[in-house]
Amino acid sequence: MLEALMKKKNQDGRFRYLYWIIVGIFAVLICRLVYLQLFAGEYYHTLAEGNRLRAIPIAAMRGIMYDRNGQILVGSRPSFMATYVPTKNGMSDNELKELAGLLNVPDDKLYEKVKKVKSSYVPTVLANDLTPDIVTKIEERRNELPGVSIDVQPIRYYPYNEMAAQVFGYVGQIDEEDMKRLEGQEGVSNITQIGRAGLESYYDDLLRGKDGGRQVEVDATGSPVKEMERKNPIAGHNMHLTIDLNLQEAAEKAMDAQVANGIGTQGIAAVAIDPNTGAVLAMASRPAFNPNWFTRGITEKEWAQINNNPNHPMENRAIAGQYPPGSTFKLITGAAALELKKVTPDEMIFDSGRHWLVDMRNAGGEALGWINFTEALAKSDNVYFYEMGRRVGIDKLAEYARMFGMGKKTGIALRGEATGLVASEEYKQKVFHQDWYLGDTFNSAIGQGFQLVTPLQAAMIVSEVANGGIQYRPFVVSRIDNLDGTPYKIFAPEQIGTLSVSKSTLDLIREGMRNVAEESGTAGSLFADFPIQVAGKTGTAENFSGRDHGWFVSYAPYDHPRIVIAVLVEQGGYGIASAGPIVKSMLEEFFHVGTYADGGLNAKNKHKNDSAQETKKEKQ
Amino acid sequence: MLKREWKNLDKFMIIVCVLIVFISLCIIGSATHINKGVINYDFVAKQGVAFIVDFMIVLFFSRYDYMKLKRFAKPLYTVNLLMLAAVMFVGTSALGAQRWIQLGPITLQPSEFSKLIMIVCLAGILSDKVGKLDTIKSILPIGLFIGIPFLLVLKQPDLGTSLVFLAIGLGMLFIARIKGTLLRNFFAIGVILAPIGWHFLKDYQKARISVFLNPNADPFGAGYHIIQSKIAIGSGMLFGKGLFEGTQSQLNFLPENHTDFIFSVIGEELGFLGCIFLLFLYFILVYRALIIARECKDNFGRLLATGIVSMWSFQILVNVGMTCGIMPVTGIPLPFMSYGVSALTTNMMALGILLSIYMRQQTMIF
Repeated sequence: MLEALMKKKNQDGRFRYLYWIIVGIFAVLICRLVYLQLFAGEYYHTLAEGNRLRAIPIAAMRGIMYDRNGQILVGSRPSFMATYVPTKNGMSDNELKELAGLLNVPDDKLYEKVKKVKSSYVPTVLANDLTPDIVTKIEERRNELPGVSIDVQPIRYYPYNEMAAQVFGYVGQIDEEDMKRLEGQEGVSNITQIGRAGLESYYDDLLRGKDGGRQVEVDATGSPVKEMERKNPIAGHNMHLTIDLNLQEAAEKAMDAQVANGIGTQGIAAVAIDPNTGAVLAMASRPAFNPNWFTRGITEKEWAQINNNPNHPMENRAIAGQYPPGSTFKLITGAAALELKKVTPDEMIFDSGRHWLVDMRNAGGEALGWINFTEALAKSDNVYFYEMGRRVGIDKLAEYARMFGMGKKTGIALRGEATGLVASEEYKQKVFHQDWYLGDTFNSAIGQGFQLVTPLQAAMIVSEVANGGIQYRPFVVSRIDNLDGTPYKIFAPEQIGTLSVSKSTLDLIREGMRNVAEESGTAGSLFADFPIQVAGKTGTAENFSGRDHGWFVSYAPYDHPRIVIAVLVEQGGYGIASAGPIVKSMLEEFFHVGTYADGGLNAKNKHKNDSAQETKKEKQ
Repeated sequence: MLKREWKNLDKFMIIVCVLIVFISLCIIGSATHINKGVINYDFVAKQGVAFIVDFMIVLFFSRYDYMKLKRFAKPLYTVNLLMLAAVMFVGTSALGAQRWIQLGPITLQPSEFSKLIMIVCLAGILSDKVGKLDTIKSILPIGLFIGIPFLLVLKQPDLGTSLVFLAIGLGMLFIARIKGTLLRNFFAIGVILAPIGWHFLKDYQKARISVFLNPNADPFGAGYHIIQSKIAIGSGMLFGKGLFEGTQSQLNFLPENHTDFIFSVIGEELGFLGCIFLLFLYFILVYRALIIARECKDNFGRLLATGIVSMWSFQILVNVGMTCGIMPVTGIPLPFMSYGVSALTTNMMALGILLSIYMRQQTMIF
């Protein structure tokens, strides 16, 4: 049958061409196989059997974060890690046990990890940040631990530990989800560190850099014999923050001091802003966590400590915490009343201790008699502002609150910002299906009831008052560098609005705020002989689930504002006692007065002994 | 009548095909580690069941006259375009390409089927134009006819399948006696246009093509597969390391080695002899198909068979060449070998068409 076909004459010469093309195809393939398997077979056989190829990734250095004066806030340091590639016979139970003992991890955990390892080409990291003695022990037993190697790679390092942890965020080892998300992107390896929160997460794509790698031939024990190819890693972009390291440290220290006194153990938030640009000079939140724990692989105990803390140490309270503004809201109520001509600065209103229409009183039951606007603000008189609220009306009050920036995100480049809440008739109706009463207006006028702000919003409101009504978008990153130090991106101050409030109104509010910090004001005791003229407002916000929250918002100097600070102490009671000292410490540092009078030398030296020395040592 | 039809079945070709699929099942098993602790027969079972089902259908339908297909050529073309367009809108993507359609538990890869559909449609058109393809004007509509699905597949992006379309088109035009000077001009134009086409490729495709010239330029990215595949095949030497014994595949130096890189596993585990045996089987398969094409009396059948010959030869060349490092990595499966139900079914249907053509010839001879 076949012969019959073969014998037939070619009806078409083109089939003959096609036939020879096909013969040619097979000939080429066979020639190639002869070369690969017969001539070069031995070479490839040794590559596959005795010696092996490995692709060892070289981690890119994550971008460094600098403070506004060029001090390193977040950097990297070298870390020893144990890596593993499966060998032909795999690891025996005894070997696994020995390794688990050396690495000081439970047998079953290690077993699980080792079992999951697939790739024999790219080593998998078993343990991170090993101490030198563990490294030595593993190196000594190299022959007894097939497939295990030691590798040195840079890992993220936070020299100041808890400081600004929620702002910086933290990094973790890349996981399967990240791998999927970043598939196809250059420079991602199995040792890439991924930003998990804060700036680390927000700017991860820029900070991450591109991992490189070495292709090496290794011998039977897994030690490299020959480097065949190398691709150098590309470091991530360095970032310059608007944070002032000294001010940040002063804030953290003052907060810790309060916590040590039992004040604000549930939580404290502090924000400092430059009112002329919107730059964040300091941002701190308590309780905090140590981001270094995540970098080197967090232990269960440490994770439990963070995760089981009812006060959520990982939450950045400065942007995510929402609190009733309390009396700090009187700035807005006052602005609305003056601007809408519901009151003149000189009109005297009689405070008998309670409002004449609804029986709502001052805190502590005091009665201040006849008072005018600035006096009422300085002494934070409730009855006066109840009346202002009544005259302005809830709708206008809500309108002004929104104008100052309440109820919407400031738009800072950080994840997890809350919006706050503006009290309004519609809101009560929508959520509680209840009518609005005059008492609700009273509550709203003094920042209680439904009103909520974040500490950052509170700072921005004060900033607007201080700088004459300009609304900036707060920002933490001022510049991102290219590798050669030229700017990749510069973040200029961004004006997002202007208050439509007249200069005379703002002047009166500022005057009232100055009086707050003078002898007769609510913060007089704290700032009476402060060398810089401070303007501020205290607040004590009722909290139905515990003690009142304490607020202090301020700016200084009074006539030429350079800094705005807002501090909130959860369940801290009176703002002046709980938040006041933190603000005062920060101002002292900023202006180098009081305890920081000698240029903050005391503080600096101390911190150098603590952590900077450590940093240096680590780097060597 | 039935008995005689069975007698006229090209048993030789069937045996060759069964042998190839048998090797395929063994190697898929090895590549997906059915011998390891975790028992995973999924791939082997799926492919095996698909083969048996396909086989029955092919035997049944090979009794029908392939000439009936000609009437379906035009509607099939429309179906083909719709199917390829559907991939773009409802397709699932993997590895940066959108190639699959999920229909309940079955994942279809329409570009596989569309290869065979292209063959049927082209055969339908060209069968009436054999010998009349001597002016540019007569070629233009055919160029458009191939061009539209070609671009749709290229867009997925599936460079491999679109190149298979070109190979099929060229082979069939050649046998449809396109004028020699025209063919030469096409090649000239192709050479000139290639650098322009380069700009339309995706980055990863460019990387794959440039890296095959020097795989060590990027040992962590695009060059990885080529390097490891060459090591696998080369280290198999004359006799191979034995089934399930290949270190390259068993230790996962080669991921996804049950699909496009299955030939690397054959090279490593069955050695030079195994590779030569497999290539011998392929040669028989393609040679028989070529004879069937040559002996066919009608243009339609002749072109159908030629299209199938072109498709198989090209895929064998590019796939084996890619695993050996002499062809760029383009994601073309090895016929009857690579895991993939869509691809297997397509090739079995092609086999069915060949069997039908062969049977008609015999009926006429006797």
